Amino acid sequence: MAYDKPLPSPDENTQPFFDGLREHKLLLQYFPSADHYQYPYSDRCYKDWSTDWEWRESSGNGEVYTWVRMHQLYHPSWKEEIPYTLAVVQLDEGPRMNTNLVNVEVDDIRVGMRVKVVFEDVTDEHTLPKFEPV
Amino acid sequence: MSDPIRGQTAICGLGITEMGKVYGHDASWFAGESIRLAIEDAGLEKDDIDGLLVNPGITGMMGTGISIPLQGYLGLRNLRLLNHMNSFGATASAMVQYAALAVHHGMANYVACIFADAPLQQGGSAGAAYGGAGRRGPTGMASLMPAFGFYGANTSYALAARRYMERYGITNNDLGRVSVAQRRYAVDNPHATMRQPLTLEDYHNSRWIVEPFHLLDCCLVSNGAVCTIVTTAERARDLKSSPAYIWGMGQGHPGNFPHAEIEVGTTSGATVSGETAYRMAGVGPEDVDVCEFYDCYTYTVLRTIEDYGLAKPGEAIGLYPEDPADPEAELPTINTGGGQLSSYYMWGMTPVSEGVIQARGSGGDRQIEKHDIVLCSGNGGTLDTHGTLILSPNAN
Repeated sequence: MAYDKPLPSPDENTQPFFDGLREHKLLLQYFPSADHYQYPYSDRCYKDWSTDWEWRESSGNGEVYTWVRMHQLYHPSWKEEIPYTLAVVQLDEGPRMNTNLVNVEVDDIRVGMRVKVVFEDVTDEHTLPKFEPV
Repeated sequence: MSDPIRGQTAICGLGITEMGKVYGHDASWFAGESIRLAIEDAGLEKDDIDGLLVNPGITGMMGTGISIPLQGYLGLRNLRLLNHMNSFGATASAMVQYAALAVHHGMANYVACIFADAPLQQGGSAGAAYGGAGRRGPTGMASLMPAFGFYGANTSYALAARRYMERYGITNNDLGRVSVAQRRYAVDNPHATMRQPLTLEDYHNSRWIVEPFHLLDCCLVSNGAVCTIVTTAERARDLKSSPAYIWGMGQGHPGNFPHAEIEVGTTSGATVSGETAYRMAGVGPEDVDVCEFYDCYTYTVLRTIEDYGLAKPGEAIGLYPEDPADPEAELPTINTGGGQLSSYYMWGMTPVSEGVIQARGSGGDRQIEKHDIVLCSGNGGTLDTHGTLILSPNAN
């Protein structure tokens, strides 16, 4: 069956990030003046207000900051998945990402658990960055 | 040492409309009802009102909420102070604070602070009212949220709650104790929507929303409005109803950045906001008799108790009996009207309104005997914004 869940909708500023995902790279904004990684996208560093930045590839390593099991249905395409796991991953570079955990039993999920990024090619056009235990 | 403004201003009028599934009216109508009730409560005339601060709820984001045109709808012609305010759930306490500062310095005499909302539609669900139904899809990185299946405010609070629960070993049964305790108060609150008693078994049997939250961990969604009228202590003294004097005011807004340097889940703005308000009032946590805390979720109550210094981190649950449904069990004097979980969801006006009732001693069967210091909190975003009011029946 064709993938029917909501797909990302890149805009001009974030297109390189989504292109990176298709190449199985997790890109973060890096602001050299504050030595600061930032996510999600902003045109300004919130630490020193610098607007000078570059894309850098993340190690993809981090830990589970927190997680929940979603039981509510907001979009029909999730019907078969419910309840599904949502998580926030604390990346080693500093930013936290909302994501899904995969390849793990629910009973084994813990705050602080080490994880790494895995790239799920959900369609020919779109890849999602999910995380699995190390 | 307290600040000289302690006890110099007061809430002199309170208007609470019908609450909950009240259909056929928009938010402006509820706002009109609340200000009518509030001036009647204070013994004022319409033309006495010379200040208006308004805060729409979720209907403010849907385009049908109250705003500056409310002045015209109400025909208020003597305004010397007018604003539309929004720091989400912290707004109600903030409106009272700015009103208090204004009346204290002569910018206005009687400021009506109004929260009004009417998101519930006949035949629609509470989830539909708050779930962003019909909103345009996000673009950019925000579009990853629905792609991963993140929806609604319940999710972000559940994420914060999970982190707190794992850190301190808090269980669902613990969250349930908060829910059940508040319902016992709501039974005695004529303004409350949910007045049938609740047991821990009922709590555990309520459906999952976003685990670790059951349905009974989550606040209601209500149509209605609350108006408080703020004036000077001198004016309030001679009015019809007994004043709730304002002793302390504070705000704290940590924001919520997704970065390692900002902790989410085990801290909130209440720490900074509370210290500011305690200092102004010249009191500390040990002096607090009654708490009216913003309780969008059961978890938020525990978080708030600890941030106000009323329990050590992770120990707020110790204030609650093992089985709060047991009529012999003594309840903590927290959320004495049932709170947003069981009475009505008027954002920050839920705690402020019950705080005024308790400070005045007009709580009927749910009145707390000792109510000299009443601590009220407002909280918005996902623990991003926070406001504090300390109220008292005593001017000094």
